[in-house]
Order: sequence, then structure tokens, then C-alpha cells
Amino acid sequence: MPPAVEIDHVSYTYPATGFDAQAAPAIDQVNFSIAQNTKLGILGPNGGGKSTLIKLILGILQPTKGSVRVFGQSPAQARQQGLIGYLPQRIEADLDWPISVRQVVALGRACRTKPWKKLSADDNTAIDRAIELVDLQSLSNRPIGALSGGQLQRVMIARAIAGNPRLLVLDEPTVGVDIAGQQRFGNLIDTLHKELDLTVILVSHDMRAIAAVADRVACLSRSLHFHDTPDGLTPAVLAQVFAHDVAGVFGDIHIDAHLAESCDDPAHAHQHQHDCGCTDNDNFGGSGGDES
Amino acid sequence: MNDLAPAILAALVIAVMGGALSVFVVLKRLAFIGQGISHAAFGGVGIALVLGVHGATTMGTIGQLSIVVAFSIAAALWIAALSRSHHGRIDTAIGVVLSASMALGFVLFTLAESKHGHDDHGHAAHGSEDQHHLIEDILFGNILSTDWTKAAIAITAAAAILFITWFNHRRFIFWAFDEPVTDAYGLSSKRTTNTFLVLLALAVVMAMQIAGVVLAAAMLVLPGAAALNLTSKLRPVFIYSIVIGVAGAALGMLIGINAGYPAGPTIVLTQSILYLITLIIKTLAPRLRS
Repeated sequence: MPPAVEIDHVSYTYPATGFDAQAAPAIDQVNFSIAQNTKLGILGPNGGGKSTLIKLILGILQPTKGSVRVFGQSPAQARQQGLIGYLPQRIEADLDWPISVRQVVALGRACRTKPWKKLSADDNTAIDRAIELVDLQSLSNRPIGALSGGQLQRVMIARAIAGNPRLLVLDEPTVGVDIAGQQRFGNLIDTLHKELDLTVILVSHDMRAIAAVADRVACLSRSLHFHDTPDGLTPAVLAQVFAHDVAGVFGDIHIDAHLAESCDDPAHAHQHQHDCGCTDNDNFGGSGGDES
Repeated sequence: MNDLAPAILAALVIAVMGGALSVFVVLKRLAFIGQGISHAAFGGVGIALVLGVHGATTMGTIGQLSIVVAFSIAAALWIAALSRSHHGRIDTAIGVVLSASMALGFVLFTLAESKHGHDDHGHAAHGSEDQHHLIEDILFGNILSTDWTKAAIAITAAAAILFITWFNHRRFIFWAFDEPVTDAYGLSSKRTTNTFLVLLALAVVMAMQIAGVVLAAAMLVLPGAAALNLTSKLRPVFIYSIVIGVAGAALGMLIGINAGYPAGPTIVLTQSILYLITLIIKTLAPRLRS
């Protein structure tokens, strides 16, 4: 069984725009794999390359160096086959649209349905199942603009799973959500993970959001700093990733930036990585990327 | 009346096409891009005139339309490319292309007049009055001059636009509703944008036959905007939009022909009035229900 995602020594640098712009790598020599049916949280500061990594996994960006494979195929092939479901960081859909909840969820199968054919019985079953899993049956025919923020997010999750994906990618899904909301979100993702045998990747700068969902954690701040179970994630690693006081990120623990110095020893960081048997990168320096 | 048959038929078919496309134009907020393309087409007309291609013959009509369509499509794709390079600021892109094309059009008109405006004996072949009439027709349309050749071209183009729109309707709906995620779902945002803009450019040139450069974009906005005042359901929006577009075109032609008003502006004015009526219905409906 191939890994759900293989990220092989991947670097990405955004093209410089304008005369005065300088190209800096958004991510640098990231190297790890994600086993099928795991729930991986990717933790890192804003601008640390998390969204870039997601775009590389989705095949929207092509690596400057290295390669990405999704279920043994190129991301573009995996995407075309509907193997990837995606929930964006911000819902930018036009909520003034005259479109119902069910019609939005059906868009998740748009790339699979021939234009001259009506939705098949399989399509309708998958759409109904997706709506049921996010518990929106009673709102199925409601206009999209008449929903609350939480309901809207569940619609977008239903759209993401309507195509029967095997990998669900969630980009900062709980920004601005309180702790109880994060827990409920974690429970929903847990249900989807079990019911649909999904591999889940959740990206966040918030440790609590990661803790509510993930059974594996990768820390990314331009390069990979850690990849293991959440238990092995120490305050020192977090200080290195965030490169400053991370109080509020990691519960009540107050960590000052100077603690990061204790993490500069690569051997120290390697210890965590090899604990989970993962193939991680060998670049532990650097922090605070310049993701555009 | 038989003389008007091709004009009436062309106007109604273009109205059906405008009704269908206008839903996407309004929902995707592309009304201004339609204006940009229609004004850009003026540059295309200028090129055709400089090349000596004009609608006096069947081949001339086809040649002129081909040049204008090619120029409009190029302008639409240029707007899209400029918009991407300006971080999605489409208003900047439209401002650049619209101004440049209009300026080019006027310069080429002058050039065409000096190049072709004299016959072999050195006498003026076209007076400045003819030139002004030509510019007026291009700016405000002259549907009543439509012959069967122009009507056949308009009907063929409108049918092709409607078919391609239907063929891509799921892709267009997803793109217009939530473009930022379409790439992640395997639907290329860039390809979909370019496909729609090519259709829009072609539709604008066809609508120009009725309403001219200045008012063509209105036929690709008003029916959709009016329909959205009447319903919040997706399929009925398309049906209402086509009905309103056709009703506006038919009424506008009828009033224009009988009262002696220019048909294109009368059609746009009628569609505007229909829009106002739907706006009043939308405003009053909740009060009447309660």
C-alpha cells in the first residue's frame, strides 16, 4: 500500500514579481511521507509555507525541486480522479448566489459528471451521503446565503467529500473558532475519517486545532522541524518552529524564544523524527519563511 | 415587413443568447468586462476599415466580423492576462485595454479615411457625413440594416455560444460561484476563465449588431440582473433571464419600428424598464406577503 502522500526533498520558490522583488524559498528541502488513513496536522507560523505545501500536494503548484506523489500518482492525476477533497482557508464563494445547499455539494462531483448527462444514481447517493455525514439533511434545499458560518463550513466539507476522495485536505479550518467549536470540528473530522477511510491533512498555526484532529504532527517553518505523534512535540520544538514566545499556541506553557537555541542541535531534532519511522528531511535550520 | 424579418430574427436569437450568458455575467460580476470588450471591438472595426474590409458585400461582412471578433477575443484574453499580472485587479486591466482600443479605433478611422477616402481620380469617395453615420452605427448599432447574411452569421454564432455554454454549464457554475477552489477540484480556473471570456467576446460582437459598442454590454447584463430580482433558485434564474431578454428585444423592436426610434437603444431601454419592474416586484413582494 503506497503512502497517501510522498513529499520527496521538495523546495518551492515563488517567482519574483516586480523589479524590486527578491525570490526566497517558501519551503526548502521538505521530505516526509504520510501513511494512508492517518490524520496529520501540519503546524507552523503564518508565512511558514503551510499553504504552499498544500498547493503542492493539490498539484496547483509544481515543486521547484523534488517531487510530490499522491497515492503513487502525480497530484494532477490524483485530483482528476477525485482522490483529493479540499476545504479552503477562507470561504470566498459568492453567498449571494441563487444556489441551494444540495447544489453546492453536487459541485464536488462536477469534474466527474459529463455535461450532457444528468446526475446519476451514484452521484445522488454520494451527495446525499455527504450531506448526511455533516448533518445538514434538514437544510438541503435552503439557499446558501441563508446559513450560519458553521453550517456553511459543513456544506463546504460535504462538497469536499461528495466526490468520494481518499485524501481530505483542510487549510486552517478553525480560524476564529472557539475551543468548543474546534472540538466539535475535530469530532466531525474523526467521524469522516472512520466512515470514509480518509487520510486527513489539517494545516493550522493553532496547536489546539491540531490537537483536536490529528494523530500525527508535522511542524513546518520553511523546512520541516518535526514529524511524529503529538506526544513528542515539546515546547522546545515549538519555540524553534515559531521562533518566538509561543504562549497561547501551546496551552498555558510559556516558552521564550531563547529556548529555541536548545533545538538548534540537529541530532536533538532527529531523535523525534526517527521515533515514528518516518523519512524526514535532514534540514533543521531556518525559520520564518517568506511565503507570499 | 419582410425586409425586417432578418433583423427581427437576429435580435430575438441574440436576446436568447444574451439572457443565458447574462446570468453568469451578473453573478461573476463581469458587467464591466463586457463594456471593456465592446469598446475594445471599436479598435477591431478600425483595423477592418484600414484594411479596406467593410460590409458592402457578403464576403466583406464576414471579413469585417471576423476581424472584429478576433480583435475582441484578443482584447478579452489580454484583459484576463493583465488582470492576473495585476493580482486580480480586473478594473485596472479593463481600464488599460478599453482606453487603448478606443484610442486605436479612432486613430485607425482617421487613417482609413485618408487612405480609402479618395477615389482613383482624387475625389472624395466618402464625405465626413458618411463617416459620422458609420461611427454612429458602430457606437449605437443599426439592427434594421441587418440582411439575411448578417442574420445567418448572428444566428449561427448565438447557437454556437448557447451550445458551448450548455456543454460547460457545470464548470461555469462552479467557477462563477467559487473560483478560488476550482483548481483544487480539477477544473482549471485559467482555462475556464479564458473559455468564458472568448464566448463573452463573441457574444458582445453579436450584440453590437443590435445595440452598438456603447450599449451591447447592457444586453448581457440587464436580463440576468432582472431575473435575479425574481427568484433565488438557480434553474428559474436562467429561464426568467431568457424570457426577459427576449421580451425586451421584441417589445423594443416593436416600439422602435412603429415610433421611428433607433431599435438598439429602444431594446436596451425596454430591458432597463423590465429590470426596474422586477426591482419593484422584489421590493414590494415581502410587504404584500405579510
